[in-house]
Amino acid sequence: MSAPLLEIGDLVTAYGKIEALKGVTLAVAQGSITCLLGPNGAGKTTLMMTASGILRPRHGSIRFGGQEIAGRACHDIVARGIALVPENRLVFPHMSVAENLAAGAYQRGNKAEIAADVERLYGRFPRLRERAAQPAGTLSGGEQQMLAVARALMSRPKLLLMDEPSLGLAPLVVEEIFRIIAELNRDGTTIFLVEQNAHMALKVAHHFYLIEQGRVTFSGSPGALAEDEVIRRAYLGSARG
Amino acid sequence: MLVDLIQNTLDGLALGSAYALLALGFTLIFGVLRRANLAYGPAIMLGAYAATWVHLQFHAGFLALAAVTIVGAMLAGAYVERLCFAPHGRRARSGDAAAIASMVGSFALWMQLEEIATLWLPKHLYAFPPLYDGPPLALGPFTLRLEYVAMLACAVLACFGLHRLLARTRFGLAVRAIVDQTDGARLAGINVPRVFFLVFALASALGGLAGYLIAAAHEQVTPMLGMWSTLKGMIAMMLGGLGSLPGAVVGGVALGLIESHSQWLLGPQYRDLIAYFVLFALLAARPAGLRSILTRKPTLAA
Repeated sequence: MSAPLLEIGDLVTAYGKIEALKGVTLAVAQGSITCLLGPNGAGKTTLMMTASGILRPRHGSIRFGGQEIAGRACHDIVARGIALVPENRLVFPHMSVAENLAAGAYQRGNKAEIAADVERLYGRFPRLRERAAQPAGTLSGGEQQMLAVARALMSRPKLLLMDEPSLGLAPLVVEEIFRIIAELNRDGTTIFLVEQNAHMALKVAHHFYLIEQGRVTFSGSPGALAEDEVIRRAYLGSARG
Repeated sequence: MLVDLIQNTLDGLALGSAYALLALGFTLIFGVLRRANLAYGPAIMLGAYAATWVHLQFHAGFLALAAVTIVGAMLAGAYVERLCFAPHGRRARSGDAAAIASMVGSFALWMQLEEIATLWLPKHLYAFPPLYDGPPLALGPFTLRLEYVAMLACAVLACFGLHRLLARTRFGLAVRAIVDQTDGARLAGINVPRVFFLVFALASALGGLAGYLIAAAHEQVTPMLGMWSTLKGMIAMMLGGLGSLPGAVVGGVALGLIESHSQWLLGPQYRDLIAYFVLFALLAARPAGLRSILTRKPTLAA
């Protein structure tokens, strides 16, 4: 395992008095697909929102490439090379697909490079090319998910955070999403993924963490999970897909 | 009779285009930040006072006075933004409390700016130089003041420019992204507080332009210009539809027409009463404003 790209130490994030993260410590290795599994309400989305700068942590550290980024503004974190594909996608519904992608490249200046990236992403997501002029709100759930991934990639991130990319999608679309995740990783992007769909996630992940009630309760490689009967019952048993 | 009707419509259109400019600025802030800025007009008033000072000191020409009014309104607007709006960003507190804090804060600054104007300036009423001193243009049986032509021209140019800015530029893309999905915009790397500040400056500049044209048409500035500008901008925005820029233009022109016709029919003392009555009736029948009658799109379309 190579050096960690992202190191989270004793991270606490709270909504008022309720601590959603109660001291989370984990690491994402450079070049890996790392997966965070856990039941609803365990703090997975809160962790993603804190790492991307949408939420401010109360305590703890987030180091990216060795530099402390905890509590920094979202646009600063994007500039450093982290992009989040959020839960519920958060695409711009009244803007066209092409404009959504342009917004994803907001911090970049080189127009020729941006155009080349758009072309490359249209190659990867042909449905987005077909719908380039359409408002994003008129796309299907799967297409919106593709758009959210493509928008995040437009910032050329070193680390791609993905929050439940398979949520609410048909099984065939879920397979496509995971195929794309594996491809992106092969092309050199480090991926930190939150999933409910443990079955699919463990197929692509190199390393995974379990999070329960705001704390990491297990860390291991996908092989380790299958041997662990308790975890299997708790998570694979409830998995869809 | 028909001549009067057309003459009043011409005057109403000109007046309405000044209201449309006021409403564009007010709506830009409301549509992007989802916050009502009650100190919008008082910032414009300070810009107009700055222009009278420059006029008295240097006898500057109309372009310089317009520039001073606009820059003055922008500086005062930036002061309001830093004090009332920047500290209450979307995630600093829960949404409703922050919106009320911003609005009440802007009310406090309205009072502050108005008090400063009344206490520090030796006389309340200052003459403001007109754009043009000669007789109005005659078009057959109709007359048109040159100030009114300037209002119409400025409003048309400002609409065109604002549309280009929002539809074609990187700044416009950021504004539309924030309006559409604020957290999505933050995740795309857009510096949202900075865009808010720039929107405030732009809105104040539009207000300053309107303020200059109005002061030049009235040939005077009083501390009342502050409240007057906030009210006209807000009423025009509500007539047109909350937060819609095309609605602001429609609402401003409609307000101008309503005022000029009711003034002619019932006399100047009933003008504002009629305008408020129409606003109330329209909001009761169509809460989304005139724009909801014209189209169905509820967005801040460019």
